[in-house]
Amino acid sequence: MKIDQKFAAKIKNDEDNMVPLINVVFLMLVFFMVAGQIRKADPIPVIPPTSINENRPVSDPNVLIVVGTDRSIYVDDNLITLNEVKPYLEQAFETALDKDAFWVQIKGDGLLPVEELRPIFSEIRLSGLTKVSLATQLQRGQE
Amino acid sequence: MPLNLSQPKRKQGISLTPLIDVVFILLLFFMLTSSFVPWRTVDTPLSVSSEPMLTPDENDVVMLTLKANDGQVWVTGEAHSLSDTTWFQALIVDHAKGTFAVQAEEGVNLQSLMSLADRLKENGAQTVSIANAFTTEKAK
Repeated sequence: MKIDQKFAAKIKNDEDNMVPLINVVFLMLVFFMVAGQIRKADPIPVIPPTSINENRPVSDPNVLIVVGTDRSIYVDDNLITLNEVKPYLEQAFETALDKDAFWVQIKGDGLLPVEELRPIFSEIRLSGLTKVSLATQLQRGQE
Repeated sequence: MPLNLSQPKRKQGISLTPLIDVVFILLLFFMLTSSFVPWRTVDTPLSVSSEPMLTPDENDVVMLTLKANDGQVWVTGEAHSLSDTTWFQALIVDHAKGTFAVQAEEGVNLQSLMSLADRLKENGAQTVSIANAFTTEKAK
């Protein structure tokens, strides 16, 4: 009898010990769900320039151009050459539902020379688009 | 003889192990997919023509040129340091309603360009244009 009681008490204690663990895990889960934003990873790692600029985009960009430090150009996750940018943008604009709100975002690495972006801007302008934004990130300590 | 099967004992409570399994999976998912980098956007509207958007001839346009990533900005042939707050404030007071257009020469990186735009904004410039840096004749 005595052994049974001890055994039962041990099982109960084991379950009780799990409660703080679950508390912590739930807390972390809620934190990541609330504070984090689920977003598709960039095709190549890019560290955008830091800025004090606070503007958040009101909508997702219709076309996302990622330019890495190795000058590779990814348009919507596809590695393409500079010559293919204009046809891609024209096709994307044709198929867009809301043409007035159509905008292109360029994510360039902070260490990328500005002249590397000029041909891309030129291609965008040649395709007739004028709404272009550069991605930046807030400086540390100002988040 | 009556069959005397003992009733199966009901468990005292719900086992926590499956719950923790699921919660851990959710936790891992959110930890791996979450992004905390606060992305912002700077608008660089493009003109339809390939000409530079702003020229010094226009009303009260101040052209600031970056020649290298050395923390120096050139205005009307003179070099000034990006950390020279007094000079920035004097320039901005002189052109309170003016437009500050940033240009960049070969080799200047995006970070330097944004730093200059930040310095102008910090010191009270109302209109800063960085689009000029991307739409010079050299683009062709």
